[in-house]
Amino acid sequence: MTTRRRFLKVLSGSAIAALTGSPLTALAQAATKENEGEFFVFIHASGGWDVTLWSDPRNEAKGIVSPASTDNTDKGQVRLWADAPLDGATKTFELVRPRGSNLVFGPGIGALAEVPDRITVINGLAMNTVAHPDGSTYSATGRHPQGGRVAASSIDTMLANELGTGQLLPTVSLRFPSAFVGDNLDRRAVPLAVDDVSSVGRTLFRSQMFDANAERDKVTALLSEEASDLAKRSTYPGVLEGMDLQYQSLRRMLGTNLQEVFTANSLKTLHPQFNYKARFGAGPAVNASFAVEAMKRNIVRCVSFTFGSFDTHGNNYKTHAQNQQELFDMVATLLRALDATPHPTRTGKKLSEHTHILVVSEFCRTPQINLAMGRDHYPNNSALVVSPRFRTNFSFGRTDVEQLLPMAAKSFTDGSRAIAPPDVLATFLGAFGIDPRKYMRDGEVVRELLKA
Amino acid sequence: MRWPLLFCSLVLAAGVAFTRGASSAPPATAPRTLDDYRHFRIASIDLLGRMPTRGEVATFERADFDFDRWIEGHLQGPAYVERLTRIYMDLLRLEPNLNFSPAPAQLFRHEVLQDDGKSVYVYYRQNQRRAEPSIDGEFCFAPDETGVVIRPNAPSVGATPKALPKKLLEARTVLVHPWWLYRDYRSPHPLQRFGESWKDPDPQYRPVETLLNEADGKPTIAVHVCREEAQTQDLGHVHTSGRLKNAPADEKLPGGRSKPPPIDKPFALQHKGEPISCDTRSALENSIDCGCGVGLERCIPNDGNGATNAFYFPNKMPLGPGQPLDLVKQRAERWYPYWWSREAVHFLDDLFEKDRDFRQILVGRQSFVNGPLAQFYKTMQRTSCCGPETAFGMNEELAPLFEPQNVPIDLMPHDVETWRMVPDRGPRAAGILTTPMFLQKYATARARGAVLYNAFLCKSFAAENAQLTPSTEPNLMKRPGCQTCHATLEPLAAYFARIEPSSTVFLPATNFPAVSAACRKDKSGKLNGNCNALYDVAFADDKGATLRSAYGSIAHADAAATGAGQDITKMPEFAECAVQRVASSFLGRPTNADDAPLLTALDKEFVASGFRMKTLVRGIIRSSEYRKANNMTSAPAADAGAK
Amino acid sequence: MGIALLAAGCAARPVERVVGTPAGALVARETIDQDTTPKAELRMVPPEVYMRTYLQLFGGLLPDAAQQKARGAEGNNLFDTWDDYVSSLGFPDYRLDIPRQTQTNALMVAAFERLGIALCDRAAERDLAMLGKAGGPKATALPVQERVIFAFDPAPGAMDEAQFATRFDVLHRTFLGYPAALAPKERAPRYLALYRDIAATHAKTLPKSKLTPDQAAWAAVCYGLVRHPEFHLY
Repeated sequence: MTTRRRFLKVLSGSAIAALTGSPLTALAQAATKENEGEFFVFIHASGGWDVTLWSDPRNEAKGIVSPASTDNTDKGQVRLWADAPLDGATKTFELVRPRGSNLVFGPGIGALAEVPDRITVINGLAMNTVAHPDGSTYSATGRHPQGGRVAASSIDTMLANELGTGQLLPTVSLRFPSAFVGDNLDRRAVPLAVDDVSSVGRTLFRSQMFDANAERDKVTALLSEEASDLAKRSTYPGVLEGMDLQYQSLRRMLGTNLQEVFTANSLKTLHPQFNYKARFGAGPAVNASFAVEAMKRNIVRCVSFTFGSFDTHGNNYKTHAQNQQELFDMVATLLRALDATPHPTRTGKKLSEHTHILVVSEFCRTPQINLAMGRDHYPNNSALVVSPRFRTNFSFGRTDVEQLLPMAAKSFTDGSRAIAPPDVLATFLGAFGIDPRKYMRDGEVVRELLKA
Repeated sequence: MRWPLLFCSLVLAAGVAFTRGASSAPPATAPRTLDDYRHFRIASIDLLGRMPTRGEVATFERADFDFDRWIEGHLQGPAYVERLTRIYMDLLRLEPNLNFSPAPAQLFRHEVLQDDGKSVYVYYRQNQRRAEPSIDGEFCFAPDETGVVIRPNAPSVGATPKALPKKLLEARTVLVHPWWLYRDYRSPHPLQRFGESWKDPDPQYRPVETLLNEADGKPTIAVHVCREEAQTQDLGHVHTSGRLKNAPADEKLPGGRSKPPPIDKPFALQHKGEPISCDTRSALENSIDCGCGVGLERCIPNDGNGATNAFYFPNKMPLGPGQPLDLVKQRAERWYPYWWSREAVHFLDDLFEKDRDFRQILVGRQSFVNGPLAQFYKTMQRTSCCGPETAFGMNEELAPLFEPQNVPIDLMPHDVETWRMVPDRGPRAAGILTTPMFLQKYATARARGAVLYNAFLCKSFAAENAQLTPSTEPNLMKRPGCQTCHATLEPLAAYFARIEPSSTVFLPATNFPAVSAACRKDKSGKLNGNCNALYDVAFADDKGATLRSAYGSIAHADAAATGAGQDITKMPEFAECAVQRVASSFLGRPTNADDAPLLTALDKEFVASGFRMKTLVRGIIRSSEYRKANNMTSAPAADAGAK
Repeated sequence: MGIALLAAGCAARPVERVVGTPAGALVARETIDQDTTPKAELRMVPPEVYMRTYLQLFGGLLPDAAQQKARGAEGNNLFDTWDDYVSSLGFPDYRLDIPRQTQTNALMVAAFERLGIALCDRAAERDLAMLGKAGGPKATALPVQERVIFAFDPAPGAMDEAQFATRFDVLHRTFLGYPAALAPKERAPRYLALYRDIAATHAKTLPKSKLTPDQAAWAAVCYGLVRHPEFHLY
């Protein structure tokens, strides 16, 4: 028996089908085919990063800008730091100019400086906030929290909902600010949120000493029926339908040998190229190797994790550059790993050709050094994209010279203004033919960021 | 919304959406419906903290079951308290991910070789002043004597340790029975050693094994402590070495030390010979006769040279400290932050258990301490002061947020499970706002102000589509693009201008006026160094400077956190916000316009009751909104097919 | 011209007069309260509540003790440590500002299964010791009234529907908090079918199992309830 809710859904589906021939439908259909087998990695650089050390480098004292220097930075571990004059014995850094590229970086860029032709940098992101929870939410969802509540789904949820519900694990979130908000989302896209990858492994282990897999599977099948029946009795069946789907996912998860994917030691063995001894990035390195392995086995669509913390208000700013270097070294290693891994479903293709990485933070740090020799929060930001669908060796957006504030990047429909996180996320969706308005209230696709 | 069939008349009962005062229980003789069972289950989850047992369900089924009395009874229990504390802990997240390791309170230790070939641990403090230049500000044995350069928080430098002659060891160190080993460490001859004659130690008190044994594995009876650190008096004297400037770079340093001995600071020169309280930062930096006190009770041990371990305590206790999920060896610098968090939870628990006026969350002067917190408030908290403050005549904390004399004197540092209420922390206490956990979690004035606004007034700062243009306007309440939020935030932040960032040090108005004529811009437009640390050059001129974070409202800065508590709790939004938060939590959803009648009524009752949470919760649980909160139907399956 | 024709057409018919009759009073047949309370989806039981309930079902033990009991002599076969599950169960981490999970996900459902199996297998071993293997370790069966989960005497031989129903009702009340009679009518037959299926095939499916077929069948019914949506939602 069809419920009223399902009837309306069918009806609306028919209405859309009646519009066959509309550009939106054609685009959506084409996009769906083209998007088969696309993977996504989202990294949150937690704490607020200093963009003057990597994407929007400043090595001159101009206006209120105090560049990083030997007074406030431990340059010993920062490979790309080459001294440049600043003030007497105090040195700042030389700008990093990769060969064959117009991009200019600070020394925090690490190994990504070797692959400018693979990356897109977005500067001058207008954040309008300097609060951690607000900035994290804004960067991940495109909306500021409303009364403390997250108002929209995060980008990983959006893409999992759109492209990932057929995967065993549509989205795995390792301390990323993921959010599942809204009534019209597939419950399979609820982020699998865990602290660390290894805890998943033990959760999936099943003893064979008391009961058999087949018996447990029968119970799960029964529960799936129960959930489905209860959903039919409910006015709002979403949660129960969701549990039904989750029981079904469980059956698939347990039918697949996932222990290796979710055990840190196995991952380290499978992907030794990541730096598991890094001072700041040891944990995230495991998450990155998990991403590679899970995509290789085609069990996820999105993997999101956190790298941090970059919240250096005091003399812990000394190691900020090294922290950034480790982050971007990890991204470079991830890219190389994806280059070396065949795509699980597209014959002859590499994972890197169909994997899209977005690195964000909640805001940047002040251009001034504070009394505690650190930097505080600042309402500007940058983002990094590594995606075959984006224009690479390219930087978009800018800040003013003296105060590092976002400047107008282009004319949007609401006038000339700086680019903002909703635009970045909308562009990400638009790159896959997904109408951002389906998920986002704000933000426009910035065509200049995308490949023709 | 399920509507009845067309042939039935509807009677809209005004107030049917919210029936207060009526019994929540169905008539005693009617059989229980599925809705009844579900309601009981939901109430159990909320007030028992778990699902009802079979026996409890059976009791519910009895004809004489009085649901209202059941609700009343469970508004007294620990589960109810935990339920409410959880609402505010989810909001405020008062658990630490930070370290507290002020130099005067940290005792490191180094293993030295004796001339009999045996090793022994010697405890010392970083930067401890000593009369002898070869060891002034360093470990009490020079590199020439030990063969290594000992560096706290860094590996020692030097390949071959030298054996120390016994006489030298005895001259430079003292044997102490420390507090972490002895229950009766204050007695002249301590006997009650942990693990032996110390009967019934608090089971939650667990020093790490390495603190209990010597380098050779034998149980530690007494510890070797550098002589200066072992001093027990409460007052010392400001010391000057006579070194006014660093030795030339090419001059050989005494004792083979790697960096020159400290020179005399201006403070020491100005106050030479004057008494100084030994539990202050100034004492460590400027005195050679201040140590860690009796039984080293002003210090916390580390089992090595760096950020090393001291005690076992849990990381994960989702069901409370009585039911930890783990017990982990932890660093000394995590010890006090852990107890700060417990203090905050005790404060909240007490507020709800005793059904105190909820406004006390921001104005109450009471708090709770156990042994480690008593130790902290008596002495450790004072180690955060004073640095640049000394230039303003404050050599030690003059106006602490928690008056040390109000700390119970009988609590020992190892009485971790003995909690005492302190009815009055002092005149500057303001509920949760002046607890170390809150002040460290929300480390800056703006962060503290923002939390007040969000958590207790249910408002948020969201400057959407505000264009930020370059501007030299320092006043964020006026700067284009910033003023939307900062016009509200800066005055709120000003309430916390007198509490230093990432600290609990309070700056009293007597020494730190909100606008100081003593701090002025010079001709080059700068404030002098010490002024700069505490006063804001952006709000200074040739006549004076404003205390940092105070420019938003001088009145608020002077009112301080106590003023914040008073002002916020007087706003009608305070009660409305509390009602909304608690109602939303119990209903399991955000409240919306349809809830207006319920919320208005609850708000009236809440305020009329004197801001008592039990009245509020009682009203919620007995409402039909609560009973019918979800859409699970009791209708049989046949009806489900008719949809 | 058209209007004239229309008027002519209308003029041919006699003028209609509508005569009203007084409306009678509507007689109320039934009074029903309109439920105007805002509705919402079912919500997930908070992880603290889940864990407290789980510990209570394990006999009112502290987490450490429950962990030891669940692990038993088999190491981490049935149960790891609480630390391994805390994140999957959706607990917040205030230190790291990680909020609590308010929705189930596939991993959480997997964690519920892992914990549910441990609870029910141990309960079957303990409460249904009389159904244990011949010659095997026989724990002294607790009196019925002291058993937390299987508070009934197992029926001798194969059970009919009525015999199953009374026992199923005990479990239904234990886990879901209401009588099985008020549940959808398909539920009890479904669980009886599960019971019979497991009891009939267990020996063949897992010959070396530590549970006998009857114990395994009851354990399956048990974790079919401790993992039920109505257990995890409210």
